[in-house]
Amino acid sequence: MEKSYDFSQAMTEAERCLLCHDAPCSKGCPASTNPGKFIKKFKMRNTKGAIRTIKENNILGGACGILCPTARLCEKECASSHLDHPIQIGKIQEFLIRHGRDIGFKVFEKPVSNLEKVAVIGSGPAGLSCGAELAKRGYQVTIFEKMDEPGGVLRYGVPSYRFSKEYLKSELEDIVDLGVKFECGNAIKEAGEAEGLLNKGFESVFIATGLWDAARLLDKKPEGVYDSVAFLLSSHTAQRDIVKGLVKDKKVAVIGGGSVAMDCAGLAGRYGASDVYLVYRRSFCQMPADDDEKMESLENDIHFLILNQPESYVTNDNGAVSGIKLIRTQLSQPKGSGRRSPVEVKDSQWILDVDLVVEAIGNKAFDNSDKLYPCVEIDDKKLIKASLDNCKTSMQGVFAGGDIVRGPSLVVNAVQDGKTAANAIDRYLIQRRTEITPKEG
Amino acid sequence: MNKNDIDLSIDFCGLKFKNPFLLSSSPVSNSAEMVARSFEAGWSGVVFKTLNSDTTPIIHPSPRMNEYGYGSKKLVGLQNVEMISDRTLKDNLADFLYLKKKYPGHVLVSSIMGFSNDEWAYLAKVSEDNGADMLELNFSCPHMAVEGAGHHVGQAFDLIEKFTATVKQSVSIPVIAKMTPNITDMTEPAIYAKQGGADAISAINTVSGISQIDLNGFIPKPNVFGLGSVSGTSGPAVKPIGLRFISDMAKCDELALPLSGIGGIETWIDALEFILLGASTIQVTTGIIHYGYGIVEDMIEGLTDFMVEKNISKVQDLVGKALSNLKTTDKFDLKRQGRAEYDLTKCVGCGQCYTVCKDAGGYALDWDDKNTRPVLIEDKCLSCMICSFVCPVPDIISYKEMPATWKRKDACVMDESLKAQIKYQPFKSS
Repeated sequence: MEKSYDFSQAMTEAERCLLCHDAPCSKGCPASTNPGKFIKKFKMRNTKGAIRTIKENNILGGACGILCPTARLCEKECASSHLDHPIQIGKIQEFLIRHGRDIGFKVFEKPVSNLEKVAVIGSGPAGLSCGAELAKRGYQVTIFEKMDEPGGVLRYGVPSYRFSKEYLKSELEDIVDLGVKFECGNAIKEAGEAEGLLNKGFESVFIATGLWDAARLLDKKPEGVYDSVAFLLSSHTAQRDIVKGLVKDKKVAVIGGGSVAMDCAGLAGRYGASDVYLVYRRSFCQMPADDDEKMESLENDIHFLILNQPESYVTNDNGAVSGIKLIRTQLSQPKGSGRRSPVEVKDSQWILDVDLVVEAIGNKAFDNSDKLYPCVEIDDKKLIKASLDNCKTSMQGVFAGGDIVRGPSLVVNAVQDGKTAANAIDRYLIQRRTEITPKEG
Repeated sequence: MNKNDIDLSIDFCGLKFKNPFLLSSSPVSNSAEMVARSFEAGWSGVVFKTLNSDTTPIIHPSPRMNEYGYGSKKLVGLQNVEMISDRTLKDNLADFLYLKKKYPGHVLVSSIMGFSNDEWAYLAKVSEDNGADMLELNFSCPHMAVEGAGHHVGQAFDLIEKFTATVKQSVSIPVIAKMTPNITDMTEPAIYAKQGGADAISAINTVSGISQIDLNGFIPKPNVFGLGSVSGTSGPAVKPIGLRFISDMAKCDELALPLSGIGGIETWIDALEFILLGASTIQVTTGIIHYGYGIVEDMIEGLTDFMVEKNISKVQDLVGKALSNLKTTDKFDLKRQGRAEYDLTKCVGCGQCYTVCKDAGGYALDWDDKNTRPVLIEDKCLSCMICSFVCPVPDIISYKEMPATWKRKDACVMDESLKAQIKYQPFKSS
């Protein structure tokens, strides 16, 4: 992992900032973070003001500073790129939030919570962002979380070497300080239970449960083949040592080329795997993971097996996986502007000997989500249908956002959905208040 | 011309220096052990840390120094509260003998400061008797709280003359008088020193200042156990002040003494600027405090290459070369005017030029939102050139002289109709 900044390193980087008029970086953030503003504040030694600028807009400013693919968001727009390289906005942002915690600076004062009760289902980035935003406005927010502790993907998805539990804890404290209540270990798992909260004293519900099922690559899954969700989740639970024991000194293959695949490979390496292979059927450049993640994986001695398509698993006498049958691919001739697709090379099958496999080809919704939310329209991918403009579902008072609506996406997009939903819920409840309140006179 | 043709040596008060670069009297010239290493590194001489006659015990405050930074840039300035040497006179003189024995070709200047006429004479004599090639009279240490010492002398001109005369009567080696910048006009005390017999002037000593205040305890730094003090500030931050005083003295016909330039020198360019304004030797402390003795290598090499480039073989020929171009502002030709010229080929669109022109210049730039580029309104440009100072890209903004027919637009009056309401009579001098 790249080292995080200390004060003077962050300042040195901030000093490179050109303080653009009409800063382009500030237009590059899906959650409207304003780097042009917070970097200027920091540079002018208005450090608390800089932290306030980040946090007031994004309650998970620290998490985003660490996890955002800044190279294709704010930093992509940075004018300094035309001089040499973009300002490391994410790293400055991460520093500022951490610094605020270190000096005990609290951005928010506890608001008076005397407005309606709102239920949020899921304590991932979307739920936390929505809950915090509503709490700031005086709503009484309860976040229901099926796991034992809050954070969703921030706690149970991202490996802790990338995002530490301490960092999460301090960002969660800010949300607790706003008066948000958490009901952890309380899964909303019965059909219609989510919508039913509207009859249990909650005036509105925001569904932000994320995607916790894994897309399957090959139907036959012998022993020793894990999916990315289970593999990453295990690193955060009591399962950790067991899985670590299975990986140590073994050959591990991770199938996939996205950020989650990089995380799985990184974790396997840290568990002490003798070799970690990353199997991907397209080219290096076509891997959806960010360049810095790819480079870090290479530096960590992950073996990239690009242009290789898995065909089937090879098992040993005990029925456990012992290899993957791969077939080499080549990219098709380019057609117009379309992405070149992998074409199998005839008779090029070969077997990669492995002891453990992690399929990391994407997260998806649970197959039963249509039954889980019977009052809300669901699409054919089992995702909740909701508008990205206002997070409204087909049922009045029920809103949804984050990956359960978008499909696999970025933390920062979930944060934005949470903010969008909070605005929409606020407007909805204001409207209802005026309708319900009898006119005087 | 090539490097071998370049002669960096210089004559200063009849003594030959291998190059113009000396250590100034300070922590960097505190002992022979240190000075020997500086000579090995390439410095041509030393002004040794100001001697103490052992009559006044010297204890340095602790801590002694504070750094003055700018953002993340460290040591743009330095504040120190050091006193003169805290070593015994015998230790220092033994070091003199060592240096002269081991480095006969290097120049040893003894810096002295007395508290009385007798003490000045005494310190001058023991210095000369123990090998000093030259004296520097410290009329400028800003940390001596005692009346009649340090910069208190530098501000009481008759004392400068008196003490200089005393020293001159006691020794035959050349004498430099070192000036404090904490006055308005340095030529005046310098002339007093000359009347006392000084052979040269060195300047500047540190500028009285306060570098920083600890915001938690409200204590100025360096924080000497709860107290701070106005004390000597040095380093790149004070270079403009040093250049100014050197040029003032160089232009003073009545003074006409060799000058040793001091103040924020780190590179050959800094040194050359002092030389071009009249200094023939250069003294350095803060640059060494920041980077060590090794910077002299780059001063020597850099100045040599410059001289090759300019086809100038002797440093002496550079001394004072910029002085004829330095005049008071009333000599400017105000008929000639110009404006900023923009070549946006390499522009990155940051718009800092737009921000500063709008808020601090003539509002001579519009902003093209679509292309994120500045648009110059030529006849509003004041030619302040601040846009070029903030522009991150070299060569985008240059100065362009305009023909005599070119007219600059007056700054706009917000509401011409208010002129009717002005209470006003044109000023007439009586």
